[in-house]
Amino acid sequence: MFDLRGLLILAIFLATLLTYAAYRGRRTTVFRKLRGFEELGRSIERAVEAGERVHLSLGTGSVIGSDSGPALAGLAVLSRMAMATSMSDKPSVITAGDGAMMVLSQDSLRTGYQQVGESTRFQLSAGRMLGPTPFSYVAGLPAVLGDEGVKVHVMIGSFGAEAALAADFGERNGIFVLAGTDDVQAQAILYAIASYPLIGEEVFAGGAYLNAGPLHHASLSTQDLVRFLIVAAILVGTLLRTFGVGV
Amino acid sequence: MKLGVYLIWAVVAVVAGVFVLLGYFTSLGIFIELRLVLLRWAVLLAAGGLGIGLVNLASVHLAKVSEQEPGWPYSGVLIVFFTFTLALGLFFGPDSPWTLFVFRYIHLPLESSLMALLAVALVVAGVRLVGRRRDLLSLVFLLTAILVLLGTGPWLVFSKSSTHVGITWVRAWVVQVAAAGGARGILLGVAIGGIVTGLRVLVAADRPYGN
Repeated sequence: MFDLRGLLILAIFLATLLTYAAYRGRRTTVFRKLRGFEELGRSIERAVEAGERVHLSLGTGSVIGSDSGPALAGLAVLSRMAMATSMSDKPSVITAGDGAMMVLSQDSLRTGYQQVGESTRFQLSAGRMLGPTPFSYVAGLPAVLGDEGVKVHVMIGSFGAEAALAADFGERNGIFVLAGTDDVQAQAILYAIASYPLIGEEVFAGGAYLNAGPLHHASLSTQDLVRFLIVAAILVGTLLRTFGVGV
Repeated sequence: MKLGVYLIWAVVAVVAGVFVLLGYFTSLGIFIELRLVLLRWAVLLAAGGLGIGLVNLASVHLAKVSEQEPGWPYSGVLIVFFTFTLALGLFFGPDSPWTLFVFRYIHLPLESSLMALLAVALVVAGVRLVGRRRDLLSLVFLLTAILVLLGTGPWLVFSKSSTHVGITWVRAWVVQVAAAGGARGILLGVAIGGIVTGLRVLVAADRPYGN
């Protein structure tokens, strides 16, 4: 009737996440250095001081698809980014390839401004849909990056091969490019093109590195713990098979 | 008042998320039906979102044209073709030969040409990588890319030489063992990250729908 194994795994995930969040005050979480996120904070500060714009790309994935995960991680980064750039002369711009994701980006941006008491600075046109297909989205990017004084180009969302062009437009403009996605092939492309690529699960770590909340810190600890358990299970399974146990 | 509204959104998101999730872990008809109904609603809402997105696209570019911001002529071209394509679809229907002509002979070739640009962008990125990031990993990345390219197709000369056979063998090992293993590791990390991100939304810690 119920897939108890699946539910149990999910419950363990949730319990670990909430336990880490509850005990966060009692233990110090030390993250390894991620140059991209370290430099992102400095670049945003520089952009705000110089009156330049910050751009966040949420990719071409939809809200209802399996590719929504990285874009949701991007939205967590967005709320922090909105707070950091609330005093800037030029408000942040967020682009997406999906209409519903665009609406969510506007809501997150509005919330970010509200949290620092700058809700009047929110503009609806700051959250945009550039194009409904991957390449029409990418075709719209040069206009945003080139004509609107963007100096920080952050790509955290679902991208396919079009990520190459999206990152390359930023690199050609000589601006800060931080890029991550869930697609393995696109990650390889971004490694070659972007100054600050995010590899693997690093795309989901933005919220924790930008202090978006205790559950973001707990998320990273949970991810590490589950990964260690999976690695241990693979190693034990390999050894057992090697020695003929359970064959 | 604000707290109340925010709570309603959060409760709707959490309850819908829990029911959809339960629909994947049970064979009970009621949960499966409920999941399908909620997913259908989500598809409808996403379609509505697409409509809002298109209005947003048109309004942003209309504003650019009316205020003559940098790059406004491109926005003008977009508005013209946006209106033209929309009118074609509305008057003749999405399956009409006119609409299909636009997609087949204008839209698809344009997207294909952008796809072709990828190859150029990748070669340029490879060259730039050497100058920008001079570390061991970048060197390994480049050498692997060159090795895989050399081992993928036949050469103009010496295609049957022992060097080509050796490179083909090394390429097969790199692709089937090293790259596949690495990709699986990365995918595991991405999957765990995705699950945890989903759980944060499910417990309303992340509220992308705003406060």
